[in-house]
Amino acid sequence: MFKHRAQLMSRINGFLMFFPYLLLLVMFAVVPIVLAASVSLEESLTNPGGGFGNYLFVLQDFRFLPALINVLLFLLIYLPTMLIVVAGLSLMLDSIKARHSVPLRLAYLVPAGITGSVAILVWYFMLEPTYSPFAPLFAEFGWTQGTDIFNSSNLIYIFALMTFFTGAGNWIVIQYGSLQSIPDELLEAARIDGANSLQVAFRIKLPLIRKYLVYMLVLVMAAGLQIFVEPYLLSSSVYPGIAKDWSLNQLSYTLAFLGSNLGAATALSLMLLVVMLGLALIVIFRTDFFDEAKTKIKES
Amino acid sequence: MNKKFLSSLAIASALTLAACSGGGTSDAGGSDGGSTEASGPRALLVWVDTVREPACLSYQESVAGEIDVTCEVVGQEEILPKIQLSNTAGQGWPDVVFSPPNSAAIYAEAANGYALNLDDYVDSAVIDAYNTSNDWCLVDGSYYCLKNDLAQTVLWYDTVIFEELGLTVPTTMDEFAATAMQLEGTDYVAGAVGDQGFYAGYLWPSGCPMADVQDPTTVRINSSASECTRVFDLMQPLLDAGVVDSRSAFDAGFIADVAQQQKVAMHIGPSWWGEFVIRPADSWAIPEGRIAAAEMPKWDGESTAWSGEWGGGIWVVSSHAANLQDAADAGVYLATDPDMREDKVTFPGYQPAFEKWAARLGQDTYYASDPTVAMVAQASRIRQDNNPVRFDMRGQIGVLQTEIGNGATLKDATETFMASLVELAPGVGYTVVD
Repeated sequence: MFKHRAQLMSRINGFLMFFPYLLLLVMFAVVPIVLAASVSLEESLTNPGGGFGNYLFVLQDFRFLPALINVLLFLLIYLPTMLIVVAGLSLMLDSIKARHSVPLRLAYLVPAGITGSVAILVWYFMLEPTYSPFAPLFAEFGWTQGTDIFNSSNLIYIFALMTFFTGAGNWIVIQYGSLQSIPDELLEAARIDGANSLQVAFRIKLPLIRKYLVYMLVLVMAAGLQIFVEPYLLSSSVYPGIAKDWSLNQLSYTLAFLGSNLGAATALSLMLLVVMLGLALIVIFRTDFFDEAKTKIKES
Repeated sequence: MNKKFLSSLAIASALTLAACSGGGTSDAGGSDGGSTEASGPRALLVWVDTVREPACLSYQESVAGEIDVTCEVVGQEEILPKIQLSNTAGQGWPDVVFSPPNSAAIYAEAANGYALNLDDYVDSAVIDAYNTSNDWCLVDGSYYCLKNDLAQTVLWYDTVIFEELGLTVPTTMDEFAATAMQLEGTDYVAGAVGDQGFYAGYLWPSGCPMADVQDPTTVRINSSASECTRVFDLMQPLLDAGVVDSRSAFDAGFIADVAQQQKVAMHIGPSWWGEFVIRPADSWAIPEGRIAAAEMPKWDGESTAWSGEWGGGIWVVSSHAANLQDAADAGVYLATDPDMREDKVTFPGYQPAFEKWAARLGQDTYYASDPTVAMVAQASRIRQDNNPVRFDMRGQIGVLQTEIGNGATLKDATETFMASLVELAPGVGYTVVD
């Protein structure tokens, strides 16, 4: 009896704690997704018979494939850079004395504050040869005009640079935090066994934070797949049209708000949602990130 | 239902929440369309850009106590998306909006329904005073907007450079090309083409069919037309010879290395360039007494020296306004009041307002000669076979600019740009013809 009552209370408490989030989830995720699914199937100019025509319309749109390729190439550069630099810098941060790491952690976080339109302006001045402090360096590569740098073939690198500096600092500090969870005795034992700093970093620390890195990679990939702000702002302010419909999310925006085609926009968004959901499920079921939680649940 | 499931659900939903940003609104659409009978206090919501805000505030003051006017500054890029959102939500439209010109066709379309048909709400005398300047707003025989200004292209030239090199002002495009070639080896240029200027100053005046609306469901787009190819044939050699710059006239490098060094001998550009681009100290900063404006050079075989337009905003009145006449009256004031236009950089579309504007600019000693003479001549020569369309023409012009910036030939850049128009047109209900 007591056991049942305790179980019941536990379930009620659990539900009460989860309820506020559930409410938000229904209001801002479930309802919009259902509405979007319904709109995407409605009859429209581009979907005369209703049904899945909008999905086909999007897949056949002349902007879809270039946007998909742009985003995939961007991820190909952005993800490994994030992984290598974040892992490397957080390991280095962890290896120096604690009193030095505080200002360094702050320094890593500063670029994360430069986002959106400010980031566009900062990077424009950094990369535009007329204004850039690096102009002499650019000149060595033959880049003397704005269009030598701001042109279609360089956009992937420019956006990777912008998003990297915006996101890397946060993750370095987070991964530094994950490194703090490694017991000192373990590192001490490795050193007693004769491991040098590099061996400790690569043989002990890195494997122990592997799951955090995988988690980061999945989240960063989800964010990268949805890249919007950087190409949108660059294209609508500094260089008109340079990155118009460059990413899939931009195409969705254009279809909805500049092309009067909400059905196609929702179809594209739902296709992106499926990919995102797949990534989320991979994190939950195919990584060991939540193993500890599972073990504790079993124990209870 | 257990804890594991709940935690999985919570995590999955958190990770997927972000993915919903692009597609989560209903297409409720529709509205009652407003009514001419006002109920409750009279109020108007006006969306303007920062340049037009003083006009709105002036109107607010002039009708204070009678109508409660709210002036909101909204970026030009945001206006169409926000009105589309209002259409979806079925509420939240501004009563009057200052909008980019191409949106006229989108708002006038029945499926969108935002723009009020002004025929019954605006005095015909107002329309008549525009002469042909408001033809852009004529959709299927009715007026759906009022032009704020005209952005007709003229030929800007530097009289000091022309005198130094012994050049004469070209009156035909062949003469323009010949004059430009005389600049070879001198460091002077005949303008820059890596922006909307190529569309507005060359392709449009030549009659290249980019958005030639035949009827509400048919548009002519054809980059192989002779009116397009003659532009490539004439301009590409100038670009190759370096007497025309491939950058934008707004490019930081072009401004610093060419314009501010007073190396622009001539440049086809819109009427607002004199006060906004050529004169300001933080722009081209050309000194006083050098700049003049001439009529557009005529393309071979044309009887008229046509202009294109770069800009030329419009005022649109909402069909959803609670009091349609109040909203239309506000639109007329904002589009036509002479006092509000006298000190602005743009050429007023409304003729009575233009006279006051020209009186000021015509006497300005900054110019080597009165630039308004050429502007007036070109005001009635804006080529009429390029029209507002329901697809995002403004955005696609950026494709043209980007392609030129990427180093494509003018022909390839234009073909890529126009191919994108051909792709977009059917999606909004046009049949494309050659």
